[in-house]
Amino acid sequence: MASTVPPLRRTSSAVSHANGESLRHRRSLSTIPSIRPSRSPQPPTARMPDMGRSSDPSLKAKAPSTATGASSQHSSLSASAQPRLSGAMHRPHKLRSQYPRGSTENHVEYILVASFDIDKGPIMEHQYPMAITGDEHMLAELMLPDQAHVRNQDWTIFFLHKDTSQEEDDAERLAKEERRARRNRKRDRAMGIIHESDEDEDEDEEDELEEDDWDDDMSTDSEPDLEGPPLVYVLNLVNTKQDKTVKRGAVVKAMAICTRHPFLHIYKPLLLLALEEYFKAPVPETLAMLYNAVNEMDLSLMPKLSLLERHLLQSSENKDLFVEKFEAMIEARLAETAGVDVLQPFDASSAPPRRPPIYRSGSRAHIEGHAAHVVPRDTHEFESKVMYKGIPIPIKVPVAVMPEIVGDFSLIKLIQNFSDSHSKTPHTFPLHPHLTTNGPNTHPIIVLINALLTQKRVIFLGHNMPSGEVAEAVLAACALASGGILRGFTRYAFPYTDLTKVDDLLNVPGFIAGVTNPTFEHHPEWWDLLCDLPTGKMKISSKIEAAPITEGLVYFQQQNPAYANLVHTSASGSGSSSNSDLTGDAAFMADMHRSIASRAGERVVRAKWRAWVLKFTRIAAAFEESVYGASALYIGSDEQEASIAGAAAPAAAQGHGYVWVDEATKARELAGNVTRIEGWRNTRSYYSFIQDAARLYTIRPLKGLDLAHLHDRLRTQRLGAPQSREIYETLAQYVRSYDDICLLLSVAPESQAGLFYVALGLLHRDRDVRHWTAELLGRVAEHEAGQHWWRSLSRFEKLAYVRVRKEAEAEEARARGEDRDGEGGINLIDHLPSPVVGYERTGRRLPRWCYSESDMGLPGGPIPYPSI
Amino acid sequence: MGASMSISSLFGKLFGSKEVRILMLGLDAAGKTTILYKLKLNQTMTTIPTVGFNVETFTYKNIKFNMWDVGGQDKIRPLWRHYYSGTQGLVFVVDSSDHARIDEARTELHRILNDLEMSDCLLLVFANKQDIDGAMDPQTITEKLQLSKLKERPWFVQPAIAIEGEGLTEGFGWLSDNIKKMPKYGGK
Repeated sequence: MASTVPPLRRTSSAVSHANGESLRHRRSLSTIPSIRPSRSPQPPTARMPDMGRSSDPSLKAKAPSTATGASSQHSSLSASAQPRLSGAMHRPHKLRSQYPRGSTENHVEYILVASFDIDKGPIMEHQYPMAITGDEHMLAELMLPDQAHVRNQDWTIFFLHKDTSQEEDDAERLAKEERRARRNRKRDRAMGIIHESDEDEDEDEEDELEEDDWDDDMSTDSEPDLEGPPLVYVLNLVNTKQDKTVKRGAVVKAMAICTRHPFLHIYKPLLLLALEEYFKAPVPETLAMLYNAVNEMDLSLMPKLSLLERHLLQSSENKDLFVEKFEAMIEARLAETAGVDVLQPFDASSAPPRRPPIYRSGSRAHIEGHAAHVVPRDTHEFESKVMYKGIPIPIKVPVAVMPEIVGDFSLIKLIQNFSDSHSKTPHTFPLHPHLTTNGPNTHPIIVLINALLTQKRVIFLGHNMPSGEVAEAVLAACALASGGILRGFTRYAFPYTDLTKVDDLLNVPGFIAGVTNPTFEHHPEWWDLLCDLPTGKMKISSKIEAAPITEGLVYFQQQNPAYANLVHTSASGSGSSSNSDLTGDAAFMADMHRSIASRAGERVVRAKWRAWVLKFTRIAAAFEESVYGASALYIGSDEQEASIAGAAAPAAAQGHGYVWVDEATKARELAGNVTRIEGWRNTRSYYSFIQDAARLYTIRPLKGLDLAHLHDRLRTQRLGAPQSREIYETLAQYVRSYDDICLLLSVAPESQAGLFYVALGLLHRDRDVRHWTAELLGRVAEHEAGQHWWRSLSRFEKLAYVRVRKEAEAEEARARGEDRDGEGGINLIDHLPSPVVGYERTGRRLPRWCYSESDMGLPGGPIPYPSI
Repeated sequence: MGASMSISSLFGKLFGSKEVRILMLGLDAAGKTTILYKLKLNQTMTTIPTVGFNVETFTYKNIKFNMWDVGGQDKIRPLWRHYYSGTQGLVFVVDSSDHARIDEARTELHRILNDLEMSDCLLLVFANKQDIDGAMDPQTITEKLQLSKLKERPWFVQPAIAIEGEGLTEGFGWLSDNIKKMPKYGGK
């Protein structure tokens, strides 16, 4: 099938296959990404100004309606006149499985076995179901990590890059483009109503074939256009068995699982069993048994989440978040087996007539065996099992998989590893403008993330450590720099590598590699930053390339002469920037240490890093806008003018970008960031972020509204009553659909203040604001994810909500002429404790636009605020 | 030997001994790892083939040796060059009973010594496995390895039985004395 498809991409090497079927599996793999010709850095001034105006030309072509300013293009904007509460409750998309039954894609693609031959060194013994093309000797070397002979067991991880010239990739891409084209056609047909597809019954079949809008475009590595074909992740187990009966006293063998799933760690227990089995029976059948067992794993009841939903789940500690989706999947399965028509979109509001009970994993009913399918205990992990030799091996698969998050690692461990020695005796780094953004005593973790952002060559060295631990550090570093937002790290990561690959490694511009061989330390020409795991110390190479003086830096200094000397260039030395924490990173790290010390979980820490990375991208956008006049890092300013302003929206709706308290604070923070932003520009992660921003924009809800900006203004700025009124009005007016609310929740994560600042609108002295906010919160409370945010609001805010609702009901009643004074309503309000007093007791200060105690329905009415 | 080493390590602390990087190479199964652990631990270990490398630090005659033992299978020999930089002494281990591969050993030795990064380093050859019948004597090893071709470079062939620890002290005695004569060592 694949061979009939004309290749889209020019193939660099002609590969002929006699058997078309074998094409499906035979791929050439290498451990080093094929190096594309490096982009010639564009002169920023020449390019940037028009990028800001027209964004991306292809974007315009894809979504013509955005250019014409048709506000009906988005359902939530057009529907703003009539509130549709039901739409906000449940996701209007059809719920799908992440790994549907009958999918042709296997969980595991290959099983490999290698051994250390006493005469020849590493050799490949068996490959199943067929041989991977490419350098198998190189694979065998990676499977037998340095010093495997000194430990009985070791894990390694490495990635394989599919050869881009394979025809199969073209077929895959073609299929994907076909899907995308079909979606675009449909989108046009539906006059831009993106999320209403489920209503078109006749298109149901087509709909089945479609990927989810959000997922398809934004999923991990499924985007071949930018970065190349998806990676193959390899989990490898090596065992050394002392054996007196063999020559030289030991047998060293390794077995590896090759998968496209980034959660490769789930296969660990199976590899342990299968390698043990292989020592007993070193035949291909042993590989086949494992291969078949893992590929029979059923993940079909794991619901597919949109990008926003995945973000919410990832950064939430709530074990029940999106549990409804799991239930709906089971319901559908049960209905399917019972022969009920399941073409109807799932909608929990229209409860099925006879709903069989669905049990939670670990519940009594589950244990007693009443339930065929169960909802996981924690919705972050889908529970399944693999039958291996008749033994059920429990498996937990992460539900929300984000870009660049591969395997099982701990950011907390990474941070502590490099913080402990620094906190005792602070490292003094030689200065480098990209790396030491807080001067010579910049926190090592900040030096690390700066190195990753500016695409340096980073090596994690763990002499005498299991290579698995080194690999974990590399994977954690990728996640640290990505935050699930930036890409281009895992593709250039070598979780475990050794001297055999060093020549290839050095051809890669900017990498993250894990090694156990201390020889790497003796070669400072091989790396820019060396992170020594056993000592927890980092070293900046004596041979690191100096940071160039860029135009952006010069412009910034010219535009902000008062702050020019704060910019830490190599010429100015550390200057004053070292003392004053312009970047806020010292405070950030201090907060991070407090969180870890107070036993914050891994998810909290990851959420905080995500916030850091997001902030960095937003500061970079603000920097580009201020220095170059435009930035491709934020898209939407056009849209605001076109649609929102046209609809006579509040002026507040037009702001965008990162929010500072005042201009001086902004200039100082930009000054602290100039060098690393300039170092980030022209890196892989910078370019992919621009592409992602453009692509995300075409599919995101609330185009043209920067919810994060609005929320930040409420959070950080001292606003007057009219300004805050505008913001609340905008939020209440536009945030309506399911996806809108997801977006709102994502800018107000539980790990920060949740909906605290949004709910403050309930205490606004303006009656309208209170009522808008209550309506908005009412929608949030009915939302599948929003209900959890709602529940974690403080009781004072919930109290305020109740009062506002009562106030509204009473007003309605009065309007209808049913003055029922004395029958609840108003009187009840008077008897509720005042939320304002409650707040003040918590020691928090309310914004000045909130009402005071005396406003609260007391005789005399609201006291007019002095306008300061 | 164990006792004298611990005393000298005390001296090492007093005088702040310099660390000398030693690279130990040789064909597979020549006895490199056995020598390393005999020197480090004064114990005869049952060794298995080295996957990659071993590295240990020990002090002898007031010199701190940082000694690298790199696996010898022919496929992994091309990696040896990555260990050259900064090496002050090469310990080349030969299985004296392996007549069949002595020429192969010579080729590898000269390839190492011809590398620019190894131009200043000392050469100590352990003619190992002298206890095996038919083992070549140091003189034969010297000839087979064509050591006379080496001009400026100080070299020394020491007969040894690594599993007994025999000859190791003498070999490292020669190495220590000559390291102290090196301008690099005095200057550093």
